[in-house]
Amino acid sequence: MKTYEVFLKKAGKEPFGHAGSLDAPDDHMALLFARDSYGRRSEGEQIWVVSRDHILEGNQSDLALADRSHKHNDGQRVSELRTNQRLKKELGE
Amino acid sequence: MRTLDDAAKEYLLGFADDELCVGQNHSWWIAVGPFLEEDLAFSSIAQDELGHARMLYEFLELEESIDEIAYGRDRRDYRSAHIAELRCHQWPEALVRHVLYDLAEEVRWSALSEGSWKGIAAIATRAIAEERFHLQHALSLAERLLATAEGRKRLIPSFQRLAPMGQELFRVKVDEVRLVDNGLLSSSLTTQKNSWIKNVEAFLGSIDCEINWDQFQGAPGREGMRSSDFESLHDEMVEVLSLDPDAQW
Repeated sequence: MKTYEVFLKKAGKEPFGHAGSLDAPDDHMALLFARDSYGRRSEGEQIWVVSRDHILEGNQSDLALADRSHKHNDGQRVSELRTNQRLKKELGE
Repeated sequence: MRTLDDAAKEYLLGFADDELCVGQNHSWWIAVGPFLEEDLAFSSIAQDELGHARMLYEFLELEESIDEIAYGRDRRDYRSAHIAELRCHQWPEALVRHVLYDLAEEVRWSALSEGSWKGIAAIATRAIAEERFHLQHALSLAERLLATAEGRKRLIPSFQRLAPMGQELFRVKVDEVRLVDNGLLSSSLTTQKNSWIKNVEAFLGSIDCEINWDQFQGAPGREGMRSSDFESLHDEMVEVLSLDPDAQW
């Protein structure tokens, strides 16, 4: 048996999402089982099945670099400063 | 719509009862299938077969409710073929019955979909859409197992025992000619049976698995005689229902 990863795409503009994995003796059976395991209630309109062997796995420690919170700026502080400045101008200060 | 005559009723009730029994029998494997993926696939097929039984019972427009027809009839009023009633509690048998039964369904539903009764042809078309997957599943799995010595050792005896029994699926209590004459079936049950035998033999193809078709001496399932396996199958069917017969679901 080989392990496969299954991806489903719902209707519309939704991207493919990981649905789960399964074991199958070969590609043909993997597609059949994917339909029964993850799509039997019409959960998606397209299905991708990928042998786990074909997945390239990145280096986890590369992703887990120290504090990266500055890359999560939501722009709120800048927006507050701008609003305050505008208000000051409007009040003629 | 055509008026349902006795011949059509007998035939469709037999088909519906086959579906009911096979669906219930398949569901025995829920949670104990040979591996999770097969468990899910087989359970899903079981549910489809019960759905087909339901469509056929509805089509028959009998006086009783669907539950009463499916679960509450006198034993002699069931028309199921004995191969459908068989408790296959060994996986090779369950898989082989699935192969034989679904190969038969392919032929049986086509004859209904190509017949001239619109209502039943629509049901058949719907069933065929699902049966395509059942058959693909049955044949793909059996083919892979038959490619190994271990698989052949386990499956061949079941094919040899069950295939002759499968011929009962193409029997009916009344004169089968009436079913073609009244337009219900596009081809006679005998023709259907021969196509099925040809398809079973083609599937077994190069494998050394001789089927002795004459071993089948006829079974009285269509005449109202239940096999010895039916009682335990029926007990299982009504197990929950009998806890509270008036429950609203």
